[in-house]
This record gives sequence, C-alpha cells and structure tokens, in this order.
Amino acid sequence: MASLCSALRRFLFGPQSTVWLSFLRIGVGLQLFCYVLSLRSDWIELLAEGNRGLIRRDLMEALLSAESPLIPRIGWIVGVGTWLNLGETNILWFLWGAMLLASLFLVLGLFCRTTSVIAWILFLCTAKTVEPFGYGVDNFTVIGLFYLVVAPVPDGWSIDARRRGIGLKSTSLQGLHRRVLQLHICLIYFFSGSAKCAGRGWWDGTSLWRALTRPPFDIIPPDILIRLGFLLPVAGILVCVMEATYPVFIWPRKTRLIWFIGVLGLHVGIGLTMGMYLFAWVMIVLNMAAFGPEFAFGVPKFSFIASLIERQIEPSSS
Amino acid sequence: MLKSGTLPAFRLAFFTIQFLCIVLVCLNDLCTIFSTSATFFPASVDPFWDRAAELTLAPLGQNLPATSPIRQTVSAYLNLTGIESGYSYFAPNIPDNYKIVFELHYPDGRTEIELPKVNSRSAGLRFSTLLDKMTETEYAPLRTMMVKMLAFSVWQGHPSATKIRAVLGTVDLPSPVEFRLGRKESYRVLFAYDFDFITEQPSRP
Repeated sequence: MASLCSALRRFLFGPQSTVWLSFLRIGVGLQLFCYVLSLRSDWIELLAEGNRGLIRRDLMEALLSAESPLIPRIGWIVGVGTWLNLGETNILWFLWGAMLLASLFLVLGLFCRTTSVIAWILFLCTAKTVEPFGYGVDNFTVIGLFYLVVAPVPDGWSIDARRRGIGLKSTSLQGLHRRVLQLHICLIYFFSGSAKCAGRGWWDGTSLWRALTRPPFDIIPPDILIRLGFLLPVAGILVCVMEATYPVFIWPRKTRLIWFIGVLGLHVGIGLTMGMYLFAWVMIVLNMAAFGPEFAFGVPKFSFIASLIERQIEPSSS
Repeated sequence: MLKSGTLPAFRLAFFTIQFLCIVLVCLNDLCTIFSTSATFFPASVDPFWDRAAELTLAPLGQNLPATSPIRQTVSAYLNLTGIESGYSYFAPNIPDNYKIVFELHYPDGRTEIELPKVNSRSAGLRFSTLLDKMTETEYAPLRTMMVKMLAFSVWQGHPSATKIRAVLGTVDLPSPVEFRLGRKESYRVLFAYDFDFITEQPSRP
C-alpha cells in the first residue's frame, strides 16, 4: 500500500520544468488572437441583440439560461455598459479589443494570472453566448484557458519571470498540473477514438470521404480524393486506432514519440484538408503542452532536443 | 518533490472532482450516441445504452428538474471548465449535411433564390454548425423561431420582398462509388416555412 502511494505521489508530483506552461500560454494566446481576428467582420452580426444579427442574442442567451443562469454571457457585460450609458455596438467592439489585448498579453506573458483570468471570462462570455454557432474549437479553447487560469504561472519564458522578477512555482506543482492536462488529453482521445471505432464508416473509408466532401470542409476536390481512394480506409483505421489507443501508447518511452507525432500529423491534416485551422491549432497546442518536446523527445536517441529546449526556456526554478 | 505534509490537498480534491466530471460527461456522450446512431452493436442493446446514459447523468445532477440549483450549478461548472460535452466529433458516423435556401417573392411576381451570407470562412464554419443544431433540435417552435430570424436577416438585404419561403433540407452526398458513376449531390427537403413581410413596416421576429 505504501509503495502504491509512493508511486502515485511520484506520478502526480514528479518535478517538471515550466516548459509545458510556456507552450500552453503562448499557444492559447495565439489561438485567442486568431479567434478574435477571424470573427472581426462578423462580430456584430453574431452578437447583436436587435435585428442586426443572424440569430438575436437574447434568444441565444435565453437558451443558455435554460441550461443555467450562472453561465457567463455577453448580456452581463452589455448590461454594465448600458448602465454606464454606452451603446451596444461600442460595448461589443470594446469587448473585441479587450480580448485582442488579453491575447497579446498572454503571448508575451505579461501579468499572466490576471490576463489569463480576463481572457478566460471574456472568451467564455462570447463562446457561450454564440453557443448555437459553436463547435469543438470553443470547448478546447475554454479547456486551455481554464488550465492556464489554475496553473502555477508564471513560466520561465514569460515577461513576468524574465523582466518583472516574479519567481517560478515549485517544480512538483508544475508536475501535478501537467499531469492533469496529460490525463485530460488521454481521456479526450480515448473517448473520441472509441466512439469512432463503433462506426462502420471509419473502417471502410466512407466516413473519411464524407468528412472531406461535406461542405464547408470540402477543400480538396472530390476528383483528387477519388484518385487517392485506396488511402481512405487505411487513414480511417489509423485515425481510430491512434486516438483510441493514445492513452496506452503515449506513456511508454518506445512508443510515445510515434503516437505524439502521429497525433500532431492528424491535426495538421485536419487543418489543411478540412480548413479547420483554429481547431487544428488548439489541439496541437494542448498536445504540445501535455506531451510536448521534452516529454516526447525524452527518449535517449532524441534527448538532445529535450535538453536544448529546457536550456533555452528555463532561466531558473525555485 | 513535495513532502507529505505539503501535499496540495485542495488541488488534488479539485482535480479528482474535475476528472470524475469529465469521465461522466464522456460516458454519457458515448452511451447516448451508441443508443441513437448506427454502430456495430446490435439494436437490441440500445435500451442498455439508454439506461447507462441516464445513470451517468445522475451523479452530475442532470436528472433533477431544470430549475434545481444543484443541476444549474453543476451545469455552470461544466461550462466554465469547457467539459460540458463529450468528444465524439464525427462519430460514430459523419452526420448529415444541412442546407437552407431562401426563396424571395416580390409584389410583381418575381422570385429570387438567396443563400445565407457571412463575411468570413470562420463564420461560415459556425453557420454550418448552427444549421446542424437547428435542424436536429427536437423542439419545433425553436427551429421555427431561428429560421424566422435568418429569414429576417435575408429580408433586410431585400426589403422590397413581400414573402420569403425558407427551405431547410439535407444534402445527400454521393459515396465514392456513386461519385465515380457520375452521381452528384442531391437535396432533400425536411422543413419549409413561409414568412410574410410588409414593406413599409417590417414584421419583427
């Protein structure tokens, strides 16, 4: 029993550098930056309350209230702005600017804790309000931001640590938080892969064909896909197997690099062939933070990469 | 390493609850899609998946009345941490593809076909999600309301139209074999709605 407890303690509190946190902070910051920019031209149409938008915001927020009145929403911010005599459009643009600024601060690592909390709340308000328009990318961005909010910031690469002299937290605490993210990522892939395994289409290539020809993901012309038709079943099976067995093969030293690179390749593929750039990016960021370079390359053959990254990023750890 | 006296007990407890929530939400999602989609499992086990999905909801308080403070608090927590839904994207099969078309009727008898417009690819992806959710909702009045709002946004670009027919349907994509034989995508109507607009004073949805 004692040895089990000791093993669990070693697993959960194994010392870690803050490299993973640097990846998470910068990656999620860039994600938020691109998210805000990508919606600039549709910002008011998505979020306006009156008849200026596609779906009125009050209807979307009513649906949210039916789930729980405690979920953050744009209406709360607009309410405060209205009390200050600000027009709805001004408030929405202010929110857009605030998110952009928060994302830049995150990338730079300036006021890490405050910025991550502000970015998380603002993104939650936006994503939850437009939930009828939402897809997986929003969930994964919230997950990334949430783990950043509770993480032992700052990291070694942030301005907070390098210029403002804020000390790094204990390496064991870094270990615990990274483990949590690693386990969460494992659950994500296990359930995603298991669900796919149950569908016939993933084994004979039909699902991959449908995914790649289904608007608005139909970036590759079907004629080209047909020519590569023999690859579809193989790729479909690879996706299922890679995802469902991720929690098993990402841990052993011999297989972790293959699974890590395989999953990164999968997301690069999703981004390029389906045009889901933000989705691909956030998944790559979460993977890099969880099992990133110094973990995946922590095998003897590639240990020089891990030590190179550690040396470059980590100034000192307390 | 932290010494035993300095174990961050609060963080450990918090992360344990977090993982319990993730596992329950994912199991619920998995059982739900197994019971409602075509899978390798025989249809006779569908009631088992239904029951399992219900069981996974209970610890999260999601079987309680919608107004229950416990249910609402748990829902809020799940949403705040981004774990309110499972990860069965595009599984076990790729869902149907939906499309909405607006037929604009003018007082002089003219008819125009209009598709919804967004300004960016990012918004286009989101609009396609909206169509999926709108079509698959089980609450018909909500679907009607959303289609009406979309029709109104189209009407704002064509204020002289007096009537808009919104046709929501599914696009049947050809399989690889059908594509080789030259079959193109086909459109199947699921719902059609007629909305009248008065030119001087637009009706507010």
